[in-house]
Parts: sequence; C-alpha cells; structure tokens
Amino acid sequence: MAALQEKKTCSQRMEEFRHYCWNPDTGQMLGRTLSKWVWISLYYVAFYVVMTGLFALAIYTLMWTIDPYTPDYQDQLKSPGVTLRPDVYGERGLEIFYNVSDNASWKDLTQTLHKFLTAYSPAAQEENINCSSGQYFNQIEFHAPNHTKFSCKFTAEMLQNCSGLTDPNFGFGEGKPCFIIKMNRVSLLRLDSKYIFPPFRQSPQSHSFLPSSALCSKHQIPPTNQDITPPHYSNPLVAAKFLNIPKNKEVIIVCKIIAENVSFDNPHDPYEGKVEFKLKIQK
Amino acid sequence: MDQEKSEICNIKVNGTNFEKVDNEMAKKDDSKEKKKLSKRTLKKEHQKELKKDLDLNDHKISTKELEEKYGTSIIQGLTSTRAAEVLARDGLNVLTPFKDTPKIIKFFKQMVGGFSSLLWAGAILCFIAYVIEFSKDNSVSMDNLYLGVVLIIVVILTGMFAYYQEAKSTNIIASFSKMIPRKALVIRDGEKREIPAEELVVGDIVEIKGGDQIPADIRILDSQGCKVDNSSLTGESEPQTRSCHFTHENPLETKNIGFYSTTCLEGTATGIVINTGDRTIIGRIASLASSVGQEKTPIAIEIEHFVHIVAGVAVSIGIVFFIIAICMKYRVLDAVVFLIGIILANVPEGLVAAVTVSLSLTAKRMAKKNCLVKNLEAVETLGSTSIICSDKTGTLTQNRMTVAHLWFDNQIYRADTSEDQKAQSFDQSSATWASLFNIVTLCNRAEFGAGQENVSIMKKIVIGDASETALLKFSGIITDDVIGKRKRNPKVAEIPFNSVNKFQLSIHETDDPNDKRFLLVMKGAPERILEKCSTIMINGQEQPLDESAREAFQTAYMELGGLGERVLGFCHLYLPEDEFPDTYSFDIETMNFPTSDLCFVGLISLIDPPRSTVPDAVIKCRSAGIKVIMVTGDHPITAKAIARSVGIISANSETVEDIAKRLKIPVEQVNKREAKAAVVSGMELKEMSPEQLDELLKNHSEIVFARTSPQQKLIIVEGCQRQDAIVAVTGDGVNDSPALKKANIGIAMGFAGSDAAKNAADMVLLDDNFSSIVTGIEEGRLIFDNMKKIIAFTLTKNIAELCPFLIFIIAGVPLPIGTIAILFIDLGTDVIPSIALAYEKAESDIMNRKPRHKKKDRLVNHQLALYSYLQIGILQSVGGFFAYFTVYAVQGFRPERLLYLRPFWEDNTFNDLEDSYGQEWTKYQRKYLEWTGYTAYFVAVMVQQIADVIIRKTRINSIFQQGLFRNKYIWVGIASQIIIAVILSCGLGSITALNFTTLRIQYWFVAVPYAIIIWLYDEFRKLLVRQYPGSWWDNNMYY
Repeated sequence: MAALQEKKTCSQRMEEFRHYCWNPDTGQMLGRTLSKWVWISLYYVAFYVVMTGLFALAIYTLMWTIDPYTPDYQDQLKSPGVTLRPDVYGERGLEIFYNVSDNASWKDLTQTLHKFLTAYSPAAQEENINCSSGQYFNQIEFHAPNHTKFSCKFTAEMLQNCSGLTDPNFGFGEGKPCFIIKMNRVSLLRLDSKYIFPPFRQSPQSHSFLPSSALCSKHQIPPTNQDITPPHYSNPLVAAKFLNIPKNKEVIIVCKIIAENVSFDNPHDPYEGKVEFKLKIQK
Repeated sequence: MDQEKSEICNIKVNGTNFEKVDNEMAKKDDSKEKKKLSKRTLKKEHQKELKKDLDLNDHKISTKELEEKYGTSIIQGLTSTRAAEVLARDGLNVLTPFKDTPKIIKFFKQMVGGFSSLLWAGAILCFIAYVIEFSKDNSVSMDNLYLGVVLIIVVILTGMFAYYQEAKSTNIIASFSKMIPRKALVIRDGEKREIPAEELVVGDIVEIKGGDQIPADIRILDSQGCKVDNSSLTGESEPQTRSCHFTHENPLETKNIGFYSTTCLEGTATGIVINTGDRTIIGRIASLASSVGQEKTPIAIEIEHFVHIVAGVAVSIGIVFFIIAICMKYRVLDAVVFLIGIILANVPEGLVAAVTVSLSLTAKRMAKKNCLVKNLEAVETLGSTSIICSDKTGTLTQNRMTVAHLWFDNQIYRADTSEDQKAQSFDQSSATWASLFNIVTLCNRAEFGAGQENVSIMKKIVIGDASETALLKFSGIITDDVIGKRKRNPKVAEIPFNSVNKFQLSIHETDDPNDKRFLLVMKGAPERILEKCSTIMINGQEQPLDESAREAFQTAYMELGGLGERVLGFCHLYLPEDEFPDTYSFDIETMNFPTSDLCFVGLISLIDPPRSTVPDAVIKCRSAGIKVIMVTGDHPITAKAIARSVGIISANSETVEDIAKRLKIPVEQVNKREAKAAVVSGMELKEMSPEQLDELLKNHSEIVFARTSPQQKLIIVEGCQRQDAIVAVTGDGVNDSPALKKANIGIAMGFAGSDAAKNAADMVLLDDNFSSIVTGIEEGRLIFDNMKKIIAFTLTKNIAELCPFLIFIIAGVPLPIGTIAILFIDLGTDVIPSIALAYEKAESDIMNRKPRHKKKDRLVNHQLALYSYLQIGILQSVGGFFAYFTVYAVQGFRPERLLYLRPFWEDNTFNDLEDSYGQEWTKYQRKYLEWTGYTAYFVAVMVQQIADVIIRKTRINSIFQQGLFRNKYIWVGIASQIIIAVILSCGLGSITALNFTTLRIQYWFVAVPYAIIIWLYDEFRKLLVRQYPGSWWDNNMYY
C-alpha cells in the first residue's frame, strides 16, 4: 500500500518537474518566460563584463607596479635549492642504485647526463661571452641582441673528464661515477664562499671536483641587477667524481653550499642549500 | 487472519498492559511481519475510533443493569478478590505516561535530518575521496580525512548543543507537574476504606466530596448538591451540578457522569466506577494526543528545501566539472576526487551551528518574555503562523467568574472585570446600591480561607463555588471589611442553593442596634426571584412592581443574558418586628417566614471575563494578518460574547443570525457572504462535511466554534491546515492536547495548563497570557528574516571557496586555497558574524505584514541563491584571486606563468622549477609559496566577508537607515574575524600543518577595494529595490 502511494507521489513529482521545465499556461521555462530569461541573462552578461573589466584592470595595475627585472620579494628563495643529475627519485628522495656489470642499469643515468649537458655544448653557448673569473659580472645596460643582457660561457668541457666528451660513460662503468650538481638560480644571490663538498671524509682521494679548483667563479652566479635570466644563460655546474665508493653498500652523500648567507638546515626542505642522495654501486 | 487482526486492534484500543496478561499474545514468534503490518492500520483505526465521538452507554442504563454489568453491589461494593481480578485484567488506574521519546533517541534525532544530513553525506564523501587518494598514493595529504572528521564533530557538537537547549526547557516544564498520590474512599466487602486511587477498578463504589479530584470515570448513583468543575474537559468555567439523573444522550453532557481528573467543588456524591486509567474519557483524549502525528515544522521544511538547493547546486557543478575534467584528459579517479571536492566545497559547515545557535538565542529571548519553547524549531513556527485557534477558558479569559454588570435603579452599570478589579467606577451613592451590597455580602456562603490576612483580595483563596466566590471578592473590593460586616449581621437561618428552588436565602440580624427587625436576603435565578417579589426598590424607595418595572427587568435580564453572562437576582425583606421578635426561632424545614412579597433590589451578572491584555493582542494579530479563531467547549452565547469583547468578532461584523435579526428575515434568506463572522456549535460541526468546513473557514474571517469536543478541535485544526495555513493552537485542558499536538505549533498554558497539554505542546506560556503569543510571533518573524540574512551571508563565501578549486581544475594553477583554510573560514572567522546577524533588528514593522505563505515565501528563494552565489560570491572570488595573483607575482610567478603549471608545480621530483624571472624553486619553496597564497586568499575572503556581514544587515533598507552601530554583536563578529585571521597568520603561521604563513602587512589590504565595491553595489541594489517596488529589479534582486 505504502509503496503504491509513494509511486504516485513520484510520478506526481515528475509531472511537477515537467511543469516546471515547461509550463504551457504561462509559457514559462524553468520558472521564467523566454523574455525574462533574456533579460536576466543580459543582466548577468553585463555584470560579468564589468567584473572581468575590474579584474583585468586590477591585474594590469599589478603588473604595472611590480618590477619587471627582479621579483619584489624573495621570501622563499633566501637560500637557493641544489639539484643533482642524474636524478632518480625513490621512496625517499634521490636514490641512485646501479650495477657496474649490468650496462642496462646505468645506461639511463648516463643518458640523462648527456641530455642535460646538451645545453652546455659550445653550439648552445655560442652567443655567450667569456667572462673574467673572480668577479661578479655586472651589466647595467642591455647590449645583447633583442635588448637583453649577456651571459657568461659555461661549456661542458669545463667539467673535464665528467663532461661526457672524454668518457661517454661518465665513469659509471668503472664504478667511479660522475654526478653533476647544480645550484638553482636565484636572482640577486651573492655567495661569499664558493665551495661545495660532500661532508664525508675518507681519504682525499675519494672524490674530485670539476672544475678542479672551485665550484664556480663568481661571474657564473646570476649577476646582480640582472633581470629575467638572459636568454642563453646556463647555470654553472660542478661535477663530482666519486673515486672509491664502497661497493655493494648504500652510501648517503650530502652536498652543501657553504656560504654565510645560505642555509642548508631547513628541516622541511631537503633541497635548500644542499642535496642529499643515496648511492649504491653493486658489483 | 482477519479475526486475529481485529483482536489485536481491540487490545490496542482497550488496554496497554494486556499483552503481559494474555497468554495468547505471548506467542510472539507468530510472524513479526504481520504484526508490523497490522500496526500501521491499527494506529489508523485507533485514531478513527477516537475521532468518532465517544460511545458509552453506562449513563443510560439503570443501576440494576450496572450492577450486573460490573459484577458489583451498590451497598456492598466489590469483593476484594473480584477487585484484585479486575485489577489484574485492566491494570492500574493511571494514565500511561505520555510516551516520551527516549533521551538517546532525542539526542540522535538532533543529528539527522536537515542540515545535519548534508554534513553526514559530506563526511562520507570525504572518506571516500581520502580512500581513493590514499590507494593511489599513500603519502597523500590528510586534508580530506581532517575535513570528514571535522564535519562529524560539527554535527555532533551542534546536536549536543540543540539537545541541551531543548532538554533545558523540557526540564523547566517538567518542574511544573507535581505528583501528589491520591486516595479514594471506596466501599469494598461492605465496608468503607481508603485506598490509593490507582488501585480503583471498574465496579468499585466510590464516595467523593467537595475538594476531591474524581478518581475515575464514575456514574453518579447518589448526590447531595454535588458540583464539579469540568473546565479542563469541556471548557465550561461554570460549575456543573452532578446528579443521578440521565439528562442527555451525549455522555459528555449528561449530568450523571463524573469524569476522571475533574474536581468536585462542593457537595458529596457516590458513584460506580465505569472506566479506569487510559479507558477514561481523559485517558482516551490523552492517548488520542499521542497517536496524532505531528506535522513537520515549517522551518524544517524550509531547511530541507535549502538543503535541496545546496545539494542540487553542488551536484550539478560537480558533474559539469567532472565532465570537463574528463575532457581535459584527467584520469577518471582524479575526476572523481574533483567531483567530491566540489560537492564538499558547497557544504556550509558553519551554518548548522549558526542556525542552531541563533534559534536558541531567540528561544532564550522568548523565554524571557514568558514563552518557553520546547522544540527549537518551533521558535520560527510561531512567526509563520497564519491561524491561531485559541481555547477560550483560561487562555482568553481569566478562568474565574467575575461580576461584570449590575442592574439597579433601572440602569445597567458596568463593573471592572480586569484582573485586579480596582477601578469600580459605577455610581455607588444610591440607597438601592447600599441594599444590594448588603444582600451580596450577607447572602453568600463563600468564605476566605484561613491565614490570608496579607494576601490581596483577588489572590485570596476562597472556599465556595465560583459565583459566590466572585460575589465575595466583589464585595471585598468595595469594602475592606466583609467579614466584619457579616459578624455584625449574624446569620440566624439559611437555606443553601439547590437546583429545585434555584434560590438561596438567609436571615440576619441587622447591624443597627436600634433596628430590631430581621433582614431576609435572597438571591437566585432572576425569574424565580422576581416571582417572589411584589415591590421593587428604586433610588432607595420601595415602589410597587408594576408592568413597566417588570418590562424594565425583562429588558435588562435579556440584555445581560445576551452577553453570555450568568445573571442573578437579588431581593430582601425586613421582617416586621411584631411578627418576628428577636427570640423568634426560624425553621428552614417548615419555612415559617415569608418568601413572597419581597422587595426586588437588583440584578448582578457574572462572567468569566477576558484577560485585559487579550483585546490588544487580538488586534495585533489581526494587523499581522493572522486569523484568530476561538474554539471552546463552552456555550455559543458565552463564547460569542467573549469573542466580541476580545475582538475575535469585531464590533461591526455580524453573523448570519445577526443579519437575520436585523433585517427580520429568516436565517436561510441571508446571503452568507455578507456575514464576516460565524458562530458554529459542535452539533452543527458534526453535520458538516470537510468541504463545508473548508468553505466555512474560507468565507468567514471571524469564527467561533462552541461546544466542541476534543475530537472536533482536531478536525478544525486539520481543516485549517488544509487551507495551507500554519496553525497555532492554544489551550490548557486535557481536551486540548490532541489539537495541540496536531497543530503546527501547540501552545500550552504554564500555570493553568494540565500536564497532558504541556506535554503535547511545543511551547508553554509561563504567564498564561495570550499576549505573550504576539511577542512570540514577532520574534518568530524576526528570526525568519534574520535566518535569510545568515544563510545569504554563509552562501556567499561558499562560491569564493569553490571557485579556486574550479580554476585549479580548469586553468591548472597552483591551488589558491586549501581545505584547512576553508574550514577556518567556515568554522572560525564566519561563525560569530553569522550568529550576530540573529541579533539584527527588524527592518520595518514586521507585525504589519501578512504571515508568510508556506509555498511562496521561502527561506531560501532563487533571488537569494542567485544574488549570493552569482553576484556577491563571484565578486568575492575575484577579490580573492586578485590577492592570490598578487602574492605569486611579487614572489616571481606572474599570472601567465601560473597557467597550466600544476603538473610541474606539484611534482615532488621537480626541484628546479623556473618562475617568470628565471629563478628556480624547490618543491618545498613552492609549497611554502602556495601556503602564502592560501593565507592571502583566506585574508581576502575574510576582508570581503566583513563587507558581506555589513551588507547582510539589511535586505531592503540602507545600512544607514538601519544604523551601523545598533547591533553591537556585528562589531564583535567583525572583530572576531580580524582577530582570528591575525592569530592564524601571525601566531600560528609557523605551524606547517595548518598551512598558514605570515603575510606581509600590505596583502591584508589587497581585497579592501573589492569589499568596498561589494558594499557599494549592495547599497545600489537596495536603493533601486526601494525606489522601484514591483519592478524587474525588485523581482530579481530582492531576496
């Protein structure tokens, strides 16, 4: 009985809904006549046009007020991030595991490096100029083509035997892999010191940095008053070649930027001012 | 099968404890389903049975038959064994207590239905979304889980709050009822004994005397001047005599039945118990009340409607974006998570709390004005009431007989019938008045109870029947020394009133020491008194009672009688000293004194007068478009007179009968449309079909129902509800309880009300004052308006919270605001402002407009939804996005860079993402920027919600008309918004789990221009609505 009654109300409801959708007596669709729909739509169109105008105006004003060359604030970029190539992420951050004897296990890693270094080929760096080392490269005027500024050259060759030119396998095959460490570009950064080194201290022969002496010359740091990065700018790189990594053992390697105004101890950000990775070379 | 069913029916109707006794019923395994099925039909039949008038024939049969029927003896009473048997069969003589829903169920009821159901659905969706996300990636953020838990906590806390509020008022009501164990004097085994009244059984012979409560329904076997107060059952304020004579077919009208729970005022009687416990008339009415289904409260319907709207909007937006997401090549599971997210963003988490709190605030305010609300939702019901069915006795009237008019010296004088009767303004200089006053004082058996020296006259407890009490109090008001006067005029003989003589007589010595004559004073039915008189006193002089004097008497008598008043005649005679020396012994048996040729002095008429505040309240109801209908058990004439004096029938409107009388034509020829008023008796109502009743209710604006039974009250309420009216019923008696329950809002009287009435009601008037209802209506209407404002306020920011998610899906920007920040808006910054809106004063005189139409004036209409969602809500979103883009731009991400950045932005392995300036960002640096974005958006919404709460203060008036500072709570709310936001951003900005960051000071003001635009736009809207009522703008923009 009850079910029967409910069914009836259900069909009534459908009927009501149909009536709401199209009411033949008053010519109303969805509660409004056609002309009323037109009017209300027109109103909303007008309303949104004004609204969009207001928003566009606001955004325009915003763009007009902010500095086109340097961001107003760098609240989050006080210390640059550091990244590593090859970059293979596991469950917890970077994990580079491979087997020396299994070519396939490191083929991809060297591929990544090759690909990464194409931006540092002489051809790609052609338009950049040679900078004298040791000083920040200050440019005030836009002398480069298309009203831009110049960048310093940084070619893969500078990485010597980690350049991939002499050893296309980057030492992976012999268990002495090269890693390329890149510091993130941050506008207006001035480093007071210039070394990156892994903190593990085995014998001095355990690793070598390339370019040999230093991380990078000051001229390679994104320069002061430099605007939006020059078109052919390439981050300076440091390659670290690990000479005697214990085999069949997971090694944790941390590379830090040691500089007075760069922090590497943000508990939330594992890549700020440092890069940490696990390396396991099997034999 | 059929037979079995009917048996169950019988049992249900006739008893409650039967199941325990009856062995047959013990076989419970006899298919439970069948029982369930029959239960429903059963209930219906039960109600039908009760709606029919009572069928009882014990009043018709002779005592012999009665003895046989109940196996008893009038002399010996029942035997103890028989009594025990019957007790075992019928159960105790008590009313089954009103079936109170168990507390735990009440508690859970608070947490389902309406808003809460929306939140429950939301919580479940949250968990589903979390599970989907978790199965995909178990490092997923816990936001959805938090949200689900928070939703459940909100529902439970709000439910607890509402439960606590209602329990508080229920407790206050419960404290009214007092349980006094009652005894009954019963004859058993041939001897009189006193037993607890609940042990009475059918067939017992009981004795009652003045002051007793009748312990069960009894058929009177013998009575000496027994009078009962039936007002709680029938609404008659006058005492009713009870005798052993069968006088009426209707058991309610016949004089030989005394009803359970009515009081015996005076005299004594013996009776045979014919019904006990739930089978008594009162018991049946009480159980009728519990079987009457209650209507959903209008606000519950409105909230349901609102939930439908919100759910509809949520689901349709959700589906649209689901499709969009699929088209954009999102994975299906992602799209499902989006769908759920969109639906969730539409759930107004804080609204439940805000609405519950504001309802309870109003309830509190009403309680201060003596309206105690049992059910929070009933707060608003009173506001939408369109018909009030008011009981007469005790609600509209004071429920005590009072002197209303006097007639002496051929003139009618009005007495003051207000509650304190202080202003007796009639001419008291005439010598006739002195004589009349003498009679009133002396010929009166009522006395003040002992130990009440310091109580004001009107509050003193008087022993005696209602009319005598009225006369005693009346004389007490005129002179302070009634008792002294009586002492100075000692009574030497007295004949009390009886229904055969219809007069009361006493003989006194006079207080004049020089006057040795006796004074015989007499009062009674006017025509009887007049018969005994030969002279009439005019201006203190005795004059022969000629034709013209008789005519004057007749006219006065008719006039007072026509007012529905109870008229008493007064006469006296100074007995000649020579015939009746002071040693004369009067014998009341032989009547050795004259009882004719007396001197007629005057008439006094009594009425149960209206409360002085009622007429005003009725006028207010009328101007508020509320129809006031009187429904009473009392006689039509009295009912009509009271209706006229309180304005239920206004001065210039006539009933069909009045018109007929004026035009001197038969009633049938009168055009019924001309009569605004109607007086309908229960007998006429009985003959009416529902259609005729509808017709009656539609065509007459002023209606009085008289001589109605409780069942008919129910029918009347149903009739009103068929007119789509929201019906309020007031009442105090048990007889009102079914109607109270059926009504959309039942209003019981706190003082005079019976427990049954208070149990059935949704609201209790603590001062029994009809005019408190008007205050209640005002509050109810106000809260309805204010709830619109609260909902409009809450819905607006819903869009501002939803848009970020939509843009996030479509444009692939980093998420502008996170779930936790949204929760902090909904359950943090916005809570106090929305509650503060409940304190908003009315914009115009809300008591001058019609009650809202149930189906047309919705709480949430499309204007409200569109204006909040598509106009102010969008404006707010724009403001929020502007703040969002600003903080990203100044940190390096210009707006165009953000578009479709999401896959990279959220990639955990991407630690050198370039911004517009070529800077590279690690994942955490981006995350932190995202939280800054959340905070900026949050602050922007908060700032604009300040503008929103200000614009929501009014719907049509300018803010300046309403006064910016009249409602201080709004400012408390605004302060709370700012303080909470500052605490979140500055104080808790370092707690990463909350995803807030400390915002640079200038970004707090990014949205201020938008807030100002919102305010200006709304002022503009209101201005046009005020300027062009009825225009397109008004129709579309006024919510």
